Amino acid sequence: MRIESVKQLVALQKELQQQDKKFARKILVCYGPGCLAAGAEAVGEEFVKQLKKRRIKGVSVEALKKTGCHGLCEKSPLVAIEPDKILYTKVKPKHVDAIIDNTIRSGEIIEELLYEDHETGNRVAHYPDIKFYSHQTRIALRNLGQIQACDIEDYIRVGGYQAMAKAITKMKPDAIIDEITKSGLRGRGGGGFPTGRKWATCARVDESPRYVICNGDEGDPGAFMDRAIMEGDPHTVLEGMIIAAFAVGANDGYVYVREEYPLAVVNMQRAMDQAAELGLIGDNILGTDFCFNLHVSRGAGAFVCGESSALMKSVAGEIGEPRAKYVRSVLKGLWDKPTVLNNVETYANVPVIIDKGADWFTGIGAPKNSGTKAFSLCGKVRNTGLIEVPMGTTLREIIYDIGGGIQKDRPFKAVQTGGPSGGCLPAEHLDVPVDFDTLTRLGSMMGSGGMIVMDDHTCMVDVAKYFLHFLVEESCGKCVPCREGLYQLHDLAVKVSDGVAEDGVLEKMERLSKSIVIGSLCGLGKSGPNPFLSTIRYFRDEYEAHIRDHKCPAGVCRELITFTINPEKCDGCMACLAACAYNAITGKKKELHIIDQEVCTHCGACVSACTREAIDVA
Amino acid sequence: MVSLTINGKVVQAESGEMLLTVIRRLGIDVPALCQHDAVEPYGACRLCMVEITKESWNGWKNYVTSCLYPVEQDLIVQTHSEQVIELRRTLLDLMLARNPQTPLIQRLAAEHGITKTSYTEVVEPDDCILCGICTRICDAMGFHAISSVNRGHGKEIAPPLHQPPQDCVGCLACALNCPTGFIRYTDDGRTRRIWDRTFDLVTCEKTGQGRVTREFAAFLTEHRGIPEEYFRVNDESHRKELAQTMGDITNSTREE
Amino acid sequence: MKHDLSKIPDIIARYPQRPESVIMVLQDIQKEFNYLPAEALYQTSEALNVPLSKVCSISTFYNAFSLTERGDNIIRVCCGTACHIRGAKQIREQLEELLKIKPGETTSDGKFTIELVNCVGACAMAPVVMVNDKYHAQVKPNRVKKLVAKG
Repeated sequence: MRIESVKQLVALQKELQQQDKKFARKILVCYGPGCLAAGAEAVGEEFVKQLKKRRIKGVSVEALKKTGCHGLCEKSPLVAIEPDKILYTKVKPKHVDAIIDNTIRSGEIIEELLYEDHETGNRVAHYPDIKFYSHQTRIALRNLGQIQACDIEDYIRVGGYQAMAKAITKMKPDAIIDEITKSGLRGRGGGGFPTGRKWATCARVDESPRYVICNGDEGDPGAFMDRAIMEGDPHTVLEGMIIAAFAVGANDGYVYVREEYPLAVVNMQRAMDQAAELGLIGDNILGTDFCFNLHVSRGAGAFVCGESSALMKSVAGEIGEPRAKYVRSVLKGLWDKPTVLNNVETYANVPVIIDKGADWFTGIGAPKNSGTKAFSLCGKVRNTGLIEVPMGTTLREIIYDIGGGIQKDRPFKAVQTGGPSGGCLPAEHLDVPVDFDTLTRLGSMMGSGGMIVMDDHTCMVDVAKYFLHFLVEESCGKCVPCREGLYQLHDLAVKVSDGVAEDGVLEKMERLSKSIVIGSLCGLGKSGPNPFLSTIRYFRDEYEAHIRDHKCPAGVCRELITFTINPEKCDGCMACLAACAYNAITGKKKELHIIDQEVCTHCGACVSACTREAIDVA
Repeated sequence: MVSLTINGKVVQAESGEMLLTVIRRLGIDVPALCQHDAVEPYGACRLCMVEITKESWNGWKNYVTSCLYPVEQDLIVQTHSEQVIELRRTLLDLMLARNPQTPLIQRLAAEHGITKTSYTEVVEPDDCILCGICTRICDAMGFHAISSVNRGHGKEIAPPLHQPPQDCVGCLACALNCPTGFIRYTDDGRTRRIWDRTFDLVTCEKTGQGRVTREFAAFLTEHRGIPEEYFRVNDESHRKELAQTMGDITNSTREE
Repeated sequence: MKHDLSKIPDIIARYPQRPESVIMVLQDIQKEFNYLPAEALYQTSEALNVPLSKVCSISTFYNAFSLTERGDNIIRVCCGTACHIRGAKQIREQLEELLKIKPGETTSDGKFTIELVNCVGACAMAPVVMVNDKYHAQVKPNRVKKLVAKG
């Protein structure tokens, strides 16, 4: 059934809305990345089984929606009940019976499944009342947790594809580019380049064909916003791409999805198939002259392919070696043709801007940083998850109000943003507004949205070493500064971490970093030293403790710490023995356990296992 | 024509020319190890980087590989500024860590004041500097016999699956253009051995010696229209005679 | 482990027979055999008209591909930042000690291969371990033994 006109689209939406009203209640089971990892599928299957069996009036199996990421991953698996807006946390299959009997039938709330506010100890029944949710403004993530994931009808029901319809039937390409430019939308992949300007440059090039690509590579470890959008709301990405293609005059588009996201690959393809079936992509969309074909292109495990020129090489079936950016890919991109490359989240914003207008968008956020930004908030916070806040929100608000503060109330040490190209910001900057320009000025960067919170048990030298190791593994190896320079920089960081670095090592690393930054061919290399440069800027004394005193204050660097069991706290429960993979601990039940320092590798498994906090790390 | 300044001297250049070409024309010595006239510039070694600025940039400077950067009107270029020298030194210091025993790198490093790397040397070093000239030339020749494998620090140049490459015709383009002599071959005028493959040369009836392998000769005959008998003549004067008469044949049948 | 190499032509035929299909063809072959048999490289090169040397470049550049056979069960330890902060290293060590192999290696009985992945995108549930297609969240080092026994 092809949709041949805007009228048909609107009629279909009304029809779907009518059908939806039939449901007395809807059960939204979150199938986002966190919940899937925590066992959402088993919960979903149990609901399907029970709903089919029980035949409750107004709540058929169709009332069950498998949604994209609801957000509060820490408490997964999550189940939301609408229209009550009740949120159940840590749901297991065994809870399904009770949920159906009590909440679905009569709206009765099951206290023990509710979110518990860690400050007040109160259980909160409705998710809009949970600070994690009330402080957010979800635009790119607007449909996640609300509609059936990867379902074109549910997408149309909530108004999907109407912005696209407006764009291609009522607006001219130039007007669309104007609107996006006025909105101030900046690339959400991390670069923050003005999207409107990028589209305008491409549209002006006298060359064809042109291409529109979506960068779904999301290689930053610690970031999963794009994964959630691609899996949970792929149609918003498609809609944004169709609008972009129309604006710049492209008839072919690619969604590049990284290999480590198999479900996103499947869902993007499914979404394309669904849209093609309804005639919303393909030839003569909505009865106009406009034709646009979309394809999924799969990554194959290379962080460097998140870089635009490497990504385009990969789409063309080659190795992902970037090329020098003296000729920008917007002018000569895929197969040397003009190409617009934007991030998943950027496209997700486009339909909303076309629908509500540039002025509405600039009303949100901060000057020169309009709109919102999605973040994957993880690490040592209480409420890890997927969030979206207006630009200009402070780090403190994100980490403490939304994130619920540090786990076990440990002291906050730093927050890492921008992935391996970014940096760490310490407590003194908790009140800075989060936007592209401020974070860069302070030595970090917005990046794609990974936000990792660290406490006093995190060693900043270890963090730098970790990121450098990552970059060394992911370097394409083409240019000397990155291939050799980052390798040696990492080597020196290891020496610092092991306490065997020579005097003057920090100055050596700083000089080397400068050459790597200036000399590298692409962004991976150029920003490669950032993990070191940002940690040395704010935590120099920690580095010096490793070098001068051979100590790791955070108790992390293996060569510099010792684990001893405190005889006053150990009660001989044998938990550490069981956890130790190296058999380094001896002791009988109810007797003091002893760690053999010759065998101990300082892996820390015993510390994790010990419930008496009896193991000292120094 | 474009007018720009290099090391304080105003020069003219053709629009579309790369900075390195103009720099070299002026007789200025800027190292460029991955650059080769037979193939497109690559931008890998970064040794040819220069400092550029313009009056309108208000003191802001950029650093670009001159092999890949086209000339621009009013560009101000410095090939040996303090920052550029420091960068080159660091690059050579790093390259010396990978290739501590390679004469070319040792010489260039010494010219920049470095006799031993200040970084950690690789274990079991070889002479490959990963300039990519061999693979790029092999591709340009049309054989694609060798390529780069792995990525990052473990990257190396190798034939497919580290086995004697079936697509190799023994033309020696890779070995003869390798800046460090890393690619070894043997040749006694009758057989040639490279990449663990043995090739028979097309030999001259008179001298029993040859210069071109059977496979390469066959390729040239088929794709460049050079008759096979050309390769069977190793005698210089006879060759020149043949070449003169064949000049027309090759020009008219050359594939583009 | 016996591999039915006769499946290869069908897999290659799934995609347009052009050079740009090479990565996707190799991924499907990788998924079928859990590695890339040499025979697959030759046939892919032929069918898609891509030089063998380029196919080899691609097979060794990208993490997704393995040129050596792997075990029946692939255990992937996520080493993303969030997982690292929450103890991925310990889990990796537990696995190495338990199975007596290093990442990239396969147990001698062919049952398990350990691999390290740079972020699977389930960061809020760190640390994450995947056994084949199944995700395990918030894994504790002392639960690793159980995880392997089950998977």
